Amino acid sequence: MTSDQTPNPRRAKDQYRWSAAGFIAPGVLLVAVLLYLPLLWTTFLSLTEYNGLGDPEWVGFANYVEMLDDPEFIGSVLNTLLWVAGTLLVPVGIGLGVALLTWNLKGGTWLRLPFLIPYALSGIGVGVIWSFILSGDGALDQALAAFGIADTPRWLVDAPLNTVVMILATAWQGVGVNALLFTIGLQSIPKEPLEAARVDGANGLRLFTSILWPMLRPLTAVVVGLSIVASLKTFDIVQGMTKGGPGRASETLALTMYKETFVNSEYGLGSAIAVFLTVVTLAASILYLRQQLSSKHGV
Amino acid sequence: MSRIIRTTVLAVLGALWLLPVYLLLVNAAKSPESFTTKESWIPTDFSLLDNIAEAVRLSGLAESAASTLLYAVVAPAIAVVVGAAAGFAIVALRLRHGFAWFVVIFGGTVFPLQMILLPLFDAYSRVGLFDSRPGMIVVYTAISIPFSAFVMRNFFTGIAHNVFEAAVLDGASTWRIFARVYLPMASSALVAVFILQATFIWNDFLLGLVLSQSDTVRPIVTSLAGMQSTYGGAQMSTVLAGGLLVSLPTVVLFLFTQKFFARGLALGQY
Amino acid sequence: MRSRTIPLIAAAAAASLLLASCGGGNEDDGATTGTLDFYTNKAAWEPDFDELNAQSEGDVDISLNTTGYSDAAQYDAFIKQSFRTDKSPGLFTWQTGPSLAELVDEGLVAETTDIWTKAVDEGWIGDDLKDAYTFDGKQYCVPMNVAYWVMYYNKHVFEEQGIAEPTTWAELDAAATRLSGAGITPYYQTSTLFTFPWFQQLVAGTDPELYNGLATGEVKYTDPRIVAIMETWRDQQEAGWFSDAGATVDPAVGLKQGDFAMINFGSFFNGSLDGAGMVSGEDYDMFVIPAVNPDLDKTPVAVESGPLCVAENSSQKTLGLEYSEWWMSPDAQTAWSAARGDVAFNPKATVADPMLEELGTTVAGDEYERYDRYYEATPTPILTVALEQFGAFIANPGDPLPFLETIQAEADDYWADQG
Repeated sequence: MTSDQTPNPRRAKDQYRWSAAGFIAPGVLLVAVLLYLPLLWTTFLSLTEYNGLGDPEWVGFANYVEMLDDPEFIGSVLNTLLWVAGTLLVPVGIGLGVALLTWNLKGGTWLRLPFLIPYALSGIGVGVIWSFILSGDGALDQALAAFGIADTPRWLVDAPLNTVVMILATAWQGVGVNALLFTIGLQSIPKEPLEAARVDGANGLRLFTSILWPMLRPLTAVVVGLSIVASLKTFDIVQGMTKGGPGRASETLALTMYKETFVNSEYGLGSAIAVFLTVVTLAASILYLRQQLSSKHGV
Repeated sequence: MSRIIRTTVLAVLGALWLLPVYLLLVNAAKSPESFTTKESWIPTDFSLLDNIAEAVRLSGLAESAASTLLYAVVAPAIAVVVGAAAGFAIVALRLRHGFAWFVVIFGGTVFPLQMILLPLFDAYSRVGLFDSRPGMIVVYTAISIPFSAFVMRNFFTGIAHNVFEAAVLDGASTWRIFARVYLPMASSALVAVFILQATFIWNDFLLGLVLSQSDTVRPIVTSLAGMQSTYGGAQMSTVLAGGLLVSLPTVVLFLFTQKFFARGLALGQY
Repeated sequence: MRSRTIPLIAAAAAASLLLASCGGGNEDDGATTGTLDFYTNKAAWEPDFDELNAQSEGDVDISLNTTGYSDAAQYDAFIKQSFRTDKSPGLFTWQTGPSLAELVDEGLVAETTDIWTKAVDEGWIGDDLKDAYTFDGKQYCVPMNVAYWVMYYNKHVFEEQGIAEPTTWAELDAAATRLSGAGITPYYQTSTLFTFPWFQQLVAGTDPELYNGLATGEVKYTDPRIVAIMETWRDQQEAGWFSDAGATVDPAVGLKQGDFAMINFGSFFNGSLDGAGMVSGEDYDMFVIPAVNPDLDKTPVAVESGPLCVAENSSQKTLGLEYSEWWMSPDAQTAWSAARGDVAFNPKATVADPMLEELGTTVAGDEYERYDRYYEATPTPILTVALEQFGAFIANPGDPLPFLETIQAEADDYWADQG
């Protein structure tokens, strides 16, 4: 059964059955109509051959077979996994670090601001500035040259380095959001257990592992859950900086999907990749969230 | 860790974080005629205002500003309340199959946006929502709900259920408990979700590209993006200046909402 | 469980409604004056189109309401989708080659045979451009623009090195060798998207038949002649003739600051160079790239032509065709050339920039032969793979065969499907 079972008597649950339905209905309806309906269409297309003109022609699972048949598809999957791992490691890690460091620190709010500004910047300027930094003989190479390092790698050309530097560029923009969410988590931690632990002499690492980390769990679930989803869908920055190249060396699944659908007008194949990506993302999210959200926190 | 060390680490890391912002500023200020990439770090001249004026002229983004502001305020405001309501239903009212419903809403974020654009365009043009402000608000609201529901649901799990029970004993209706007890307690989370979603919408490019057409409906970044292409158009520093101009409102928004996160809003009192 | 199935059923029902109602479109309202909705993937040109409204309002009382798309692929998908709705465009830009053929096959674009007949009679356009717009003896769309792919060069660099505009391939090679010896990178290149120009130049300049054969599938990418051409390219790469594959500098800025001395680009590049602060004829100039094979009768020049089309089922079909007809006229083309700063397809139009004026006259001469750019000439699925493989080759030049084999594998699939 679902994880939401609690020891409470059933009657208490059903008491609010209708008002609970009323509270959740607007959200479910909006999401269902605007996001799921189009997705159903995509799922249908994935079982057809369609070039955007004329009518879709039913082909069953042929697109899925073709997708798995493509030797480069695995490269796309691997790059995407690299994005997931990198995004969990770097922006989530630094975000947590920043939140912990600024927590209860005088002026912490302002020290957090430099990390938030990149998120507030428009993607259009950010894309340009990063290709500027990472370009051959770009701003980074120039800075390194000033320190006497002349022999630098080709940041955007050599794989998998190009994926790694793009993950870092994304981290630059994402750390602030994670720090903000973790901060909210820290703020919602009740004072008493903290005080008690402090009285017991817990500090630093022990305070973190025994009190903060478990208490941060609901917000960690948010940050990690969102990071998994966002990294599986990685598109903008790669499209902007390498277009998945050179060759297909830095292509992610979202790029493969985009290319098949929009560039090659293979709507069926593109949709199949989208469905594959959606199923993987949903499965990963459910597995992770079920475990995170259900065990400790009752609800 | 001592405060001094913490402050120092944050200051150094923060400075590192601001380096690309510095590059953005310096290069957005260079005049297109004298612009080179040879000395990216060194300011050469100050033509920022000219570049901004040129970006505004090329992209026609001035016309988009009012409608984009409307989308970026109304849609996340609705979404944050709708999302909180969903979280409230699941956590406080203990909706049956709550986790399943949660997954249904959260599932709205998992697929790439590109995949729903064309069906949305088709549906929008059939029901007359294409190129209309209500149409844009509806889609931005829907797209913001999953994130909002996710954060609010998890935030509410941090509130002890006896808060709810106590309010019931006081004879409050569920709506009243939601509006007067849960929402105020969650104000920092509400504000965080609002500013993050407002920023996302303000910077949206894709939905605006496909679902709108006229200058008065099209969002600002979609207008701005139009000036960049292989087929000429704006110079690098003009694009940067345009990007900077468009970023101003969101940066200001972040600055002004910081006080919400400054105080320890700790729920410990409950 | 029951509560969860209801929305799913509702969703499925609505989706099938969406499906059932395909095949949109509208009655032509027959208007011949007014505001015409215009969609273009050349979003950066929107101010130029707006500028033209003054002329078109005076001449035919039509003004454009332009919507620009900056992402070409999404633009294509949007236009295709719009044919099914009542938003099918009164005027839109497109690509020649297989992409246009596809729309014509489906009967989605309005015929323009009458407009073409008139334009050719009036001497507004040469016959050779007509081929790209002709399907089964009828014409569709009109050319929005033409651009010739030529070699731009930094005049100061050429002067410093005492290099004159090359008139033969050997002279071009000598110029590159000289530049390279002086520590100057001769040519621009990029490893993303625009990876094809040098390949196109080498193949068409060696043998136009071979080039056409690639486009039609008669010649394989693994053909020894193609392999030999790729080896020439690789040798030039190894000689350091091409700019850093990892540089993302705006090409106009790159030419200005001397990152490279020459760049093979479309003649619309003048606008970018002017914008970057270079002066036409003073800081930069251009030449038609000589043929690799000196025995060719005519020097092949790559042409890019973007069509301006009217949707067959648009409510603004008549209005769109009126505008198309006006577009071909010398007045329209003079105004367009001035607004955009590019060559004009109409020989009776006046081109403001003398460099472009000269290019137009030169290329129209008997010693030159125009061919379709690789980007338009190649069927899309093959093009996608080819652009990627050329990009990979540029990033890591080596034995060309594996790259060519990958392209050929896609070509085999494609031509088998066309069967």
